[in-house]
Amino acid sequence: MVVENIVDGGILYGLIAVGAGLATGLAGIGAGVGEQGIGAAVVGVVAEEPGFLGKGLFLMLLPETLIIFGLAVSLILMFAWTPFA
Amino acid sequence: MPVLRLPKFGKPVKYAYITGRVRAMKTKLIPHEMYQRMLGMEIPEITRYLEETQYKEEIDSMAKDHSGAELVEYATFANLANTYRKLLRVSIDEPQFLILEYLRRWDIWNIKTILRGKFHGASEEEIMKYLVPAGELDPEFLEGLAKKEKIEEVIQAFDGTDYYEALTQFDGHMLSSVENALDKLYYFRMERAVGGTLSVGSGLLLKYVRKEIDVKNLVTLFRMNKAGIEASVIQENLIPGGKLHDELSRMAGQSYNEFVRGLEGYPFWSAISDVAAEGGSVSRIEARLRAYLVRYAWAISNYHPLSILPVLGYIVSKDTEVSNIRKIVRGKEAGLSAELIEELVVA
Repeated sequence: MVVENIVDGGILYGLIAVGAGLATGLAGIGAGVGEQGIGAAVVGVVAEEPGFLGKGLFLMLLPETLIIFGLAVSLILMFAWTPFA
Repeated sequence: MPVLRLPKFGKPVKYAYITGRVRAMKTKLIPHEMYQRMLGMEIPEITRYLEETQYKEEIDSMAKDHSGAELVEYATFANLANTYRKLLRVSIDEPQFLILEYLRRWDIWNIKTILRGKFHGASEEEIMKYLVPAGELDPEFLEGLAKKEKIEEVIQAFDGTDYYEALTQFDGHMLSSVENALDKLYYFRMERAVGGTLSVGSGLLLKYVRKEIDVKNLVTLFRMNKAGIEASVIQENLIPGGKLHDELSRMAGQSYNEFVRGLEGYPFWSAISDVAAEGGSVSRIEARLRAYLVRYAWAISNYHPLSILPVLGYIVSKDTEVSNIRKIVRGKEAGLSAELIEELVVA
């Protein structure tokens, strides 16, 4: 039965889905960890210099790019790379 | 009055807000080249310039009661106290605990000012003008102290606190022994309160404070060695806890030339070499050492950007800025030459 599933790609599809989830999820956690410090620092600077808001937001959003990498890997795993298609 | 508080310690990210904020506040400090220009200005011009800076609020509120050098002096002290209180207000947990421990020096300053004022029979108003309520003792308590008639009553008000033992050393004639005891108490308390926490932030604060003690002791040595005071008396006046304490206490009582030669090779030597070698005035050497200390605080804060060090760097820079403005204004009022004032300004 297990052998059948592998041949069908059942477990492998499941693992691919888990991998895709981890890729986006872990990237999101990493970006969040990075952003907490930057966000706090930006709020501190903006409290003194309101004109820094634009630059500050840009810096704060830099770690978001990591999620895009994670999301790209997830999309490739889910839709572009299907070994048993 | 609580002596030791147990803070909740957090991660370095707790420093992100306060360090971001002090770095923005640092950009508002008066640039060094401005001191040069201030030396060529008259006191009303300096006041007008300060009105365009962060001192505006204090100058505006005090302008109706004071004028000239007096106005600048009171406004700068009021601004210093407000700025330090703001730092305490906008910080939490470990940063707030460490900032308060460092700012307790202003409690010591205020106690010393009140004692000196009472000793020389100054009025309550005069004493109040020189207080900087930036530490733990609030303005109302300090006002109450300034209202007291005698020094003994002031000392009695501290009964039950850490300060009491140091204050009871007052013998009725000399304030210097009490002042020295208070200085030692400040550093002893900090070592006890901060050193016991074993956090990284505390270690960094102590690292800077040890350097500060060394610089203070060095200035004491310059002053006393130059005056030819006995080694044992000098050693009594040195504050324990500095990194170079043993080496510096060995230098006590040496002749000036021998003492200066012994300093060669230390990290601070390049900051004072020219002035010390030519036997320049101690106040010039003190200004150079102060500048060295400010540079040191910012230099080590670059290694630890998310720590107490940028905040300390700002506190020291702000204190230096206020003392520079006061030196310039006081010097101008006393009719000192621009060259003489320039030597005393920390740049």
